[in-house]
Amino acid sequence: MRRLNAITAVSLLAAASAFGQAAGTIGRRIADARPGDTVVVPAGVHREHLRIDKPLKLVGEPGAILDGGQSGDIIDVTAPDVEIRGLTIRATGIDLDKENAAVRVSAARVRIEDNVFEDVLFGIDLKEAPDAIIRGNRIGGKDLDIARRGDGLRLWRSNAALIENNVIHDGRDAILWYSTGVVVRNNRSFRCRYGLHLMYSDSVTIEDNELSENSVGVYFMYSKDLTLRRNRLIRNRGPSGYGVGLKDTDSYRVEHNLFVGNRAGIYLDDSPFTHATRGEIRANTFGYNDVGVIFLPSARGNVVSGNNFIDNLEQVSVQGRGELRDTEFAANDRGNFWSDYVGYDLDNNGVGEFEHESQRLFENLLDREPKLRLLLFSPAQQAVEFVGRALPAIRPEPKFFDPAPLVRPVSEAGAPRNQAASAWGLALAGVGMLGVGAGVLALAVPIRIRHAAGASLAATATGGVS
Amino acid sequence: MITLAVQHAPPRVNTMWRSTGILALRELREAIASRWFLLYTIAFVALGLGVSYVSAAGTGSLGLSGFGRTTAGLINLVLLVVPLMALTAGAGTIASDRERGMLPYLLAQPINRFELLLGKFVGLSLALLACICLGLGGCAAILAWKGETTDPASLVWLAGLSFGLAVCMLSVGMLVSVLARKASVAVGTAVFLWLVLVFVTDLGLMAGALAFRLKIETLFFLCLGNPLQVFKMWTLHEAEASLDVLGPAGLYASDTYGGGLRWMFAGAMAAWTVLPLAAAGILFSRRSPV
Repeated sequence: MRRLNAITAVSLLAAASAFGQAAGTIGRRIADARPGDTVVVPAGVHREHLRIDKPLKLVGEPGAILDGGQSGDIIDVTAPDVEIRGLTIRATGIDLDKENAAVRVSAARVRIEDNVFEDVLFGIDLKEAPDAIIRGNRIGGKDLDIARRGDGLRLWRSNAALIENNVIHDGRDAILWYSTGVVVRNNRSFRCRYGLHLMYSDSVTIEDNELSENSVGVYFMYSKDLTLRRNRLIRNRGPSGYGVGLKDTDSYRVEHNLFVGNRAGIYLDDSPFTHATRGEIRANTFGYNDVGVIFLPSARGNVVSGNNFIDNLEQVSVQGRGELRDTEFAANDRGNFWSDYVGYDLDNNGVGEFEHESQRLFENLLDREPKLRLLLFSPAQQAVEFVGRALPAIRPEPKFFDPAPLVRPVSEAGAPRNQAASAWGLALAGVGMLGVGAGVLALAVPIRIRHAAGASLAATATGGVS
Repeated sequence: MITLAVQHAPPRVNTMWRSTGILALRELREAIASRWFLLYTIAFVALGLGVSYVSAAGTGSLGLSGFGRTTAGLINLVLLVVPLMALTAGAGTIASDRERGMLPYLLAQPINRFELLLGKFVGLSLALLACICLGLGGCAAILAWKGETTDPASLVWLAGLSFGLAVCMLSVGMLVSVLARKASVAVGTAVFLWLVLVFVTDLGLMAGALAFRLKIETLFFLCLGNPLQVFKMWTLHEAEASLDVLGPAGLYASDTYGGGLRWMFAGAMAAWTVLPLAAAGILFSRRSPV
């Protein structure tokens, strides 16, 4: 017992002294360490700015916090093969010109794993830092106006990075500049501007991520050889809010993704860029977006097949001047499932007997005059559509057609599902409303009947007593 | 229990409210006994159930949810049916009493004309409330049964605002009723007004927006003038938290006014209720009952 007390006293003393001279303690340990050593950061708050200029491991004990005190960068890594693990890193400066970052790396093979970043301007900033592994971190931005925030994650000329199992929220962008061969897997991003933004970054694979409530989910620009699969893109609704945007992008496969409630599922601007390969958009589900897929007329050479288009307010939109050309809506005689398809399947092969085409007059007006969306859902909209159907003279040209529409939605194992919410609230609301209706009706039961009922009730009651 | 409460209530607590209440109950009873109420309720419930059933049928397997065909379909249904119901109910009431010679009899009772008008208004409002609640409650039940995940709160808002729209249109209908000499003329006028509010104004706005290149803010404020559009925008505002689904004009409205939109919508609906009803009251007190 006494021995235990002595140990506690010593460790308390040690802790106290560490806290007393907090500034520089970890820095000195790093300076003293030899390449390959492990520097342990003990639990507690350490207000330090660190530079790591030799290969070593910086490992936080549970409760270890590096606090930047709202100024500058916090960790600057200039040597290769550094590992940073298990730390909470918080409170960088807010200087956008100096790009204050929690961790800035300018060397190869860094591993940044299982850290929590809080209240940081830039989270992880890789500059010419190839072969990095960034895994299991949680990166939360500063509570600032979006224009004054920094990027949760930024790669600059950092090839072959693996970015996996991270959560990024309330930042500006997660952005890849000139970084080839990056894999982005199983991350989650919400309340950012761009969930993921690629600039001039080729051969990137993005899979199994969830990007929700961002302004834009994933935006590809000037990049090529891209794979985007099994991601969930949900309610990305910024002023130009797309689930996925592609601009001047080449050779891409977008497959098995789920697009729900975005302003537009996919936005295609001048993609494919060189027309060397066809853009493939297959086996995705577009549900309840304002627009399923937006094509600018410059987007030519896409194959859109095997997708589900379910109750998007507008399934496909061709915006701007010009027509959709050189775009196929079927591959191997199988098209897409359209929730508004009106044909039937006579030979039971899953493909409708009539092609699906969109010739809606009101939609056509909307594509030309987006402000008329204000009149959406009104009966006048139906009236316009009806007139368009009834009078071929003013019927617009079909903006696209699917030669082999599917009559049943494609539900492949690869497609991620949305969790079903409970229907109890809805049932309760229904019962409540029915109750109010019935209550009002009961009010109207003539008083004479109620009198009679009351009297007979009273009679039985008194009868029972006597 | 209720009977007892009525029997033991002290008489003439407040004569005006009491007579209004009695008139309202009479009107409610009459409305529910009449064919129009039965017909509209059946139609509304059947169409609502149809919309819910169809919209829930296709998509359940994928477990998707969002602002989809369900809410859009129900908004559309309400926009078509509720104004027609409320306008014709309001238009029929005074005019038919006058035509049947009931009006002098009613006015011979110790009540004034405002009480009569208000009583009818409250009674018919209650009848419309019952109709809307039965219709949309049935929809909610069907959707829950089909495993649809529409947000219950937005459905309750939809019901409440449908009632608001019904009250606006009832008020307009009663103004028509006070003005018209014959019940048939009143109902005909009401149907014409319905046509104007549902189709003509919106089509006019569309044409105007295209022809005069209206600015989005102008378009928005013009829409605020139509109670049907106010109902629609308010429902979307509550269901979606933003009008961005209505394109640039909606985004403009949400960004500029934000939470103030609710008050703007409420103001527009209140104006459409109070002004026609007040006009009806003034005109009614000046006109001969025969």
